Amino acid sequence: MEFKLEAHRIVSISLGKIYSARGQRGGLKLHKNLLVSLVLRSARQVYLSEPGCPPEPPHAACGPPEEEPPPCTTVWAAGEPPPPPQDEAARGGPRLPGADCEGPRSRRCCCGCSCCCAAGGGEANPADCATAGAAAPPPPHCPRKRSAGERGQAGSPVKKPRREVEDPPPPPPGEQEDMDTGNVASLISIFGSSFSGLLSKEPKGRRRAPLDGSETAPAEAAAEPGQICCDEPVLRTLNPWSTAIVAF
Amino acid sequence: MSRGVAGGGGGGGSNDFQWCFSQVKGAIDEDVAEADIISTVEFNYSGDLLATGDKGGRVVIFQREQENKSRPHSRGEYNVYSTFQSHEPEFDYLKSLEIEEKINKIRWLPQQNAAHFLLSTNDKTIKLWKISERDKRAEGYNLKDEDGRLRDPFRITALRVPILKPMDLMVEASPRRIFANAHTYHINSISVNSDHETYLSADDLRINLWHLEITDRSFNIVDIKPANMEELTEVITAAEFHPHHCNVFVYSSSKGTIRLCDMRSSALCDRHSKFFEEPEDPSSRSFFSEIISSISDVKFSHSGRYMMTRDYLSVKVWDLNMENRPIETYQVHEYLRSKLCSLYENDCIFDKFECCWNGSDSAIMTGSYNNFFRMFDRNTRRDITLEASRESSKPRAILKPRKVCTGGKRKKDEISVDSLDFNKKILHTAWHPVENIIAVAATNNLYIFQDKIN
Repeated sequence: MEFKLEAHRIVSISLGKIYSARGQRGGLKLHKNLLVSLVLRSARQVYLSEPGCPPEPPHAACGPPEEEPPPCTTVWAAGEPPPPPQDEAARGGPRLPGADCEGPRSRRCCCGCSCCCAAGGGEANPADCATAGAAAPPPPHCPRKRSAGERGQAGSPVKKPRREVEDPPPPPPGEQEDMDTGNVASLISIFGSSFSGLLSKEPKGRRRAPLDGSETAPAEAAAEPGQICCDEPVLRTLNPWSTAIVAF
Repeated sequence: MSRGVAGGGGGGGSNDFQWCFSQVKGAIDEDVAEADIISTVEFNYSGDLLATGDKGGRVVIFQREQENKSRPHSRGEYNVYSTFQSHEPEFDYLKSLEIEEKINKIRWLPQQNAAHFLLSTNDKTIKLWKISERDKRAEGYNLKDEDGRLRDPFRITALRVPILKPMDLMVEASPRRIFANAHTYHINSISVNSDHETYLSADDLRINLWHLEITDRSFNIVDIKPANMEELTEVITAAEFHPHHCNVFVYSSSKGTIRLCDMRSSALCDRHSKFFEEPEDPSSRSFFSEIISSISDVKFSHSGRYMMTRDYLSVKVWDLNMENRPIETYQVHEYLRSKLCSLYENDCIFDKFECCWNGSDSAIMTGSYNNFFRMFDRNTRRDITLEASRESSKPRAILKPRKVCTGGKRKKDEISVDSLDFNKKILHTAWHPVENIIAVAATNNLYIFQDKIN
């Protein structure tokens, strides 16, 4: 349990670092952000491998919510391969309506993630994901639901098929390690929803530039400092790698 | 301790060698401006010149005064020789990025004439500077008078030959070459080749080879950027040319590996000739194992037989002929291993410490926190911890060895790990190429220490 707490803490510190890296003078430091993402991965693996959190299947790229405003899509095109279309089709209620882009980032992030987390989460741990996913809550409710911790199994049957649809074909076992260490689903994909919330506030042009060059999109997705969402569902959806790398 | 080439240090026990304070440069002010923080220190080939670069993009060069015969025991002092603004902050409009003016590295060129040349680099641009002296000026021009104003040609009735008259020494620094636009990522190293014609520059993912005379072209010799950036697992952290073999260079990575490459084998040196890696000790695995194994500096020995790497907690000496493990490992501040989480939180774990050899390769030096720096004698295996502080800055005062208390009862004069000041870090140190003179950069101050032979 201690390890889980420490891992949790490390994850939140790491996300904070990625977030604050955006404003750094001189642009994003690739080396540092790479190291931070490595720590993030290690911590996440420990966190998820603790009893009660079985390792998840290979991560599926989390697509942006279908309600994503155009800037988000643009960002996607710039920085990431677009998510598989079935993601959007599969998503239902849990996705926040586009209007909620204005909402607090962390909430969006978590709610958005809950869908993705469905893709990544293990069966035995539907809890937060399930609830967040199945409940289709309006944004204000999200944080409460997320932070509540363990949830019932209610949503899991619903989640499962969605998960399966959302998953890209899982890599053969031999490539598992590659997915973990290599294929980076950037945090931007995870926090896609909240990222788009930020996007909606900023001019397109400016958003693009950082993606091209240096900025870490997920940094923004990580919400304002102090509102880092590091609950189970988020962790589930966190792929090892941050978009810091992808941004380049 | 460490035996230098000069002086009477050979053969005796290590007790007859002590380090003394010589000089300190920089403001004493507690409030340090970020621009004044020293970011690189480098002696030139003879050791007569000592260059520092700072975060404000300035280069300050100190020159050693000729030894004073009336005071034979005190070696020449280093005084300011030249100061100039090497790099300015720039803005990359395409990426909406500010490019810092911080000088990442300075490397001297071997001296070939009266002028001195050095390369200085920030994150994106390398510049070749010529530092030359002028101690004469011409007087008696025909077309202009002494003030420089042009004379009326019709008034000139006689011709005279201008004569050279002595003037106060003026040291001029002028940029002779600007090597720009070759790096997408942040430059971390430059290294002058032993052929004195080429040099390499390395950023996170690529290494380029330049000719000193040609600024509009460079050859990419290493490229580790993956086709899909999502697959990135390591970056280049440092690179250096072999001191004697102009076709050989090494580069270190964030994974704790070093690759030695031979430029004769292929144009693109993505495939290494040698691969140096020490297997990880599984018992010491932690969340931060990867970070602390990242190599922050790599330096060839003067002999070219060995190389030294610095990672967060240790310094390792490698024999170029043995790839599977280092021949020597020195713990710099092992007591920090249990504090890695806090050091991660306050970003100290990302500090990039440098390391250096002494002239005879018998000793190595590297920095630590609390303004401590460490020296290791490779022959006697003794090590010493010293501190660069204003308190011990009396002329020729002998530096007292410091000790960090790692647990249990703290003895007198020891400092406990929790009392260490992690804002006072010594990242940059340099050792005179021949003598036992060291330059230690402590934030905005440059300390110079010399040996004292009893």
